[in-house]
This record gives sequence, C-alpha cells and structure tokens, in this order.
Amino acid sequence: MRVDCRIEHPVALSASFEVEGFTVLLGASGEGKSLLLRAIAGLLPAQGEPFGGLPPQRRAIGYLPQGHALFPHLNAWQNVAFALRGPRRRDEAIAWLERLGLAELAGRWPAQLSGGQQQRVALARALAHRPQLLLLDEPTSALDPATRDDVLAELIAEVHAAGIPALAVSHDPALAAVADRLVLMHGRRIVQVGAPAEVYARPASGAVARLLGLRNVLRGCLEGAPGAQRLYWPEAGAALPVATALADGAAVDWHIAPEGIEWHDAATAPADSIEANVELWQTSAHGRHAGLRCGAALLWAVAPGAGLPAAVRLRLPPAALRCWPV
Amino acid sequence: MTRPRLTACLAALALLLLAVPFAGLVVATDWRHFGFVRGDGGAVAVSLGLSLVALPPIVALGTPLAWWLARHRVRGQWLVDALLLLALLTPPLAMGLLLATMYGPYGPAGQWLERAGLLLTNSAPAFVMAQFYAALPYYVLAARAAFEGVPRELEQIALTLGCSPARSFFRVSLPLAKLGLAAAVALAWVRALGEFGVVLIVAYYPQGIPVKLWMNLQDIGLSAVYPLLWVFFLVALPLPLVLGLAVRRRLA
Repeated sequence: MRVDCRIEHPVALSASFEVEGFTVLLGASGEGKSLLLRAIAGLLPAQGEPFGGLPPQRRAIGYLPQGHALFPHLNAWQNVAFALRGPRRRDEAIAWLERLGLAELAGRWPAQLSGGQQQRVALARALAHRPQLLLLDEPTSALDPATRDDVLAELIAEVHAAGIPALAVSHDPALAAVADRLVLMHGRRIVQVGAPAEVYARPASGAVARLLGLRNVLRGCLEGAPGAQRLYWPEAGAALPVATALADGAAVDWHIAPEGIEWHDAATAPADSIEANVELWQTSAHGRHAGLRCGAALLWAVAPGAGLPAAVRLRLPPAALRCWPV
Repeated sequence: MTRPRLTACLAALALLLLAVPFAGLVVATDWRHFGFVRGDGGAVAVSLGLSLVALPPIVALGTPLAWWLARHRVRGQWLVDALLLLALLTPPLAMGLLLATMYGPYGPAGQWLERAGLLLTNSAPAFVMAQFYAALPYYVLAARAAFEGVPRELEQIALTLGCSPARSFFRVSLPLAKLGLAAAVALAWVRALGEFGVVLIVAYYPQGIPVKLWMNLQDIGLSAVYPLLWVFFLVALPLPLVLGLAVRRRLA
C-alpha cells in the first residue's frame, strides 16, 4: 500500500513510500514518526493517501500507539470486542484472543497483563476491526528486553498471518532487523528505502548507518585527490589511507566494522597504524568487543584473543573504510 | 516528632476543627423538647423536591460544557474561564440581585418569559433557577477536571476503531470520567440544597430549608432552627455520602 502524506502542523513533514508486509520506518526521536502514524490514522490534519480526507472512524486502519492504550475500564475480551457489534461479539472477541494465544486471559483487566500481553490484546482489538493497514508506534518500547525478540517474532508472525500490510515506526535497530522492508527517515525526509539486507549492506549515508545501529560511524574529511587520498580523523588526530572517488577536502561520515580492524603489537606494527588504549571490554552473546580510546574518540573492535596489552596499535585497512559525503 | 506523626496530628486537628460546630449543635439542641414548627415539613419537601428537579438540567447542560472545556483550546479561552470564575466569585446575594434584574418581573428576560407563562420570581421555577445558577459553575469545574483525567489517546483509539465521536464519548470518556462526575454531581447537590443567598432574593417563596431556617430564627429563635437543621442533614447527606463512598471504593 502506498503512503503519501504531507503534514504542516505541528511540524512540516512529508513522506512517500510503499508499505509491504512488515515495513519499519526507522528514524531518530523527534523526526515526527509518531505524527506521521497519527496523520495516516486521521488523528492529525494532513493531506495525501491512503484514506485522504476521511475522518478517523471511516479509515480502515488498526492503530497501536505506544503503551498500547487498552481501555482500562474494559477487560481483555471487552477491549477486543470494542469494534464488534451484534449478539456474537463476545464469541468473536474470544476467537481473536484464541488466535493470538490469549484465550485464558479473556477476563483479565489490562493492568493485570504484561507489556507483551497488552500488545497482543491491542493487536487483536485492531485486527477485529478488519483493517487494511496496521500502524504500530514503537512496538518494542514497552517490551521486556529478555522476551522482546520472542514477542516481536510472534507479532510479526501474526501480521504476516493476517495478510495485512503493517507500518511500524521505531528508533530501535532490533526492529529494523526483522522487517520485510525498511524506510529510513532523517531530517524529516525519507533518505533510503529497501530490504534490510540491502540497506545494511549499503547504507546511503552516515545518518542511516547510525540509525541502523552500526558502531564506529565517525566524522572526518578527505585530503588529497582520488588515488593518493587520506582520511583525516580529527578526534584521533590521525590520517588514514583511504580510496574514494570523493573530491579533496570533502567532509565525510565514515565507518569501519568492528571486525574490519586489525590489531598489531607495538614492535611489529605497520607504519600506517594508529595508537590506541583498551578502555573497556564488552562481552555479550554476540562476542567480545573492545572499546578502544583513540585520542578523543572511541572505536569498537572485535577482540582477537585474550591477554592483550592495554596499549595497542590498530590498522584500519583502506578496503574496510566506507565514506559518505556529509 | 517524625513527619508521618506530624501529618497525622495536623490531620486530626483539621478534623477536630471541622467537628466543633456540629458538636455545638449536639449540645445546643434541646432534645427533650425536640419538635418542629409550622411549615418545616413543607420546606423539606420544597428543598428536596426542587433540588432533584434542578439536578438534571445542571448535569445535562454542564456535562457537555465541561467536556468541551476539557478537550478544546480556543482563542479567547480566558473569557470562558473568567466567566466561570465570575459565576463562582459573585457573592450569592449579589447573584440573586443580578438574576432578579434579568429574570424579575421588570427584567428584559423576565418580561418576555412571563408572557410565555413562566414566572421567575417567588415560584417553583424561580427556586430551581436559583439553584441552577448556584450549582452549575461548581459542577462544570469538577466535571472538567474529571474529563481532563481521561487520556485523550483512548478517545482517539475509539475513533480509529470505528466509533463516531458521540459514541466514543459514551463508551470511553463517560465511563472513564464516571468517578469524577459522581463527585461533581455530589458537589452540585450540596451547593443546590444549601443555597441561601440567591434563593433569598429570587425565591423567598416557596420556602426551602435554608430560607426557612432564617425565618424560624427571625420569628421564633434558635430553638426552632436546630430541629430543622437536623432534618436538613438527614435528607441532604445520603446522596453525596453514597456517591463519595462509591468513588473511594473504586479508587481503593
């Protein structure tokens, strides 16, 4: 489904993109993502598609705001039955709850449900209204970190099962990673659209790389013409050999993946290596990373092994560096 | 002294001060010669009956206004706020005089209404009007606070689920504001029943309890005031007490 929306108040914002399957609109806080959802839902004056000009009650959307907004005076099944009419509304509501694995919670009050359960009740309530488009505002924000991935997986499975396009807005890269389609917003504009694999492989800018949660996205500027170019990194006071097609003097955002950094002993380090001090170790399910202090900057690198000295030299291979003009 | 104990002591002192006049009433009442004077029964009937008549229009007109005030910000809003405050601020006696000026036999609205067969001086409708003016601003302010406590987002979610704004009001706003509205009704009831100043000017007759208390004091003395006051408490207290208890039970 095509979304083409222009808002004037309270901020000027316009966005145009396609929603397919589970689409995630990724943007930093304050970009107006929630406003965009509210505008599509008809809760904020805006022009454009879909449902242009219709009042919210005539739009076939299912809107899940942050915090889920269950009606506190209604229990779970009554919440789901809110949009249903007729004598069988209770049975229909229970059927929706069963579908989402919540049948045994039908009589519970919203305050007695966990964040994930509330979200699924809100989803059931939205789906029962038979929407053509689901709108989810920061769906991961109210979830417990320990169960977040599972809850998210179930949410997305449900969205796929319902066969309804869904647009989630978020600043959470973890949500971006599970999307069918990613839309990136920066400076109140759509800056990149694509499948997550494409976008992660080729972020269109440093801002996109930051939104995707990539580590080591830094500022610098290029010195010298293509062919004999160096990347000047002011925070570390270093100049790194680099190969780009950008002009001399261009200010850039640059990035190096933590796996791409080479560690060397002080004695055998190549000439183009830079000095660094290990500031902290970060050990997680995803491996062991070192936070390395280079001048005023912090660089993350995958640790090559145990028993490393505190002061090391690093080489940032030109092929591993990616530069975007700012 | 620790802080919680200090709080408890201050609270107890406040309760004690509140209780002093009523302790005085218990002591001052001549229980052996407890009796009523002529017209007391009629005053009770007038107060109770006409307050019950005044309450529905207060709720019916005050609720939409309160909801509108809670949900809309318009230019010149301060004028609306000022009007509500004026209605609260005006000394009851002065409010009675203003009402008499407008709705009295020589007032512009009064003459017009009299031709339509509605006499708003010393009549049951005048009594109801006095109570309406006395209680409405209190009801509106309390009801506005009740509606302001309803998250706007929930009303909007109701819209996205296909409810019309009116349906959303009755299915979401009203049930969620229920407790605060009950408190507002209780407040309106108390204000309407106890109103003296406005009623004194525009509806000396039919006599309600507050005016009858004044008349008993003038004609007979304190001995005729206390029994009627006891009856006043007996008839006036149950509604706000029950509403208040219901609110507290739901909040607990």
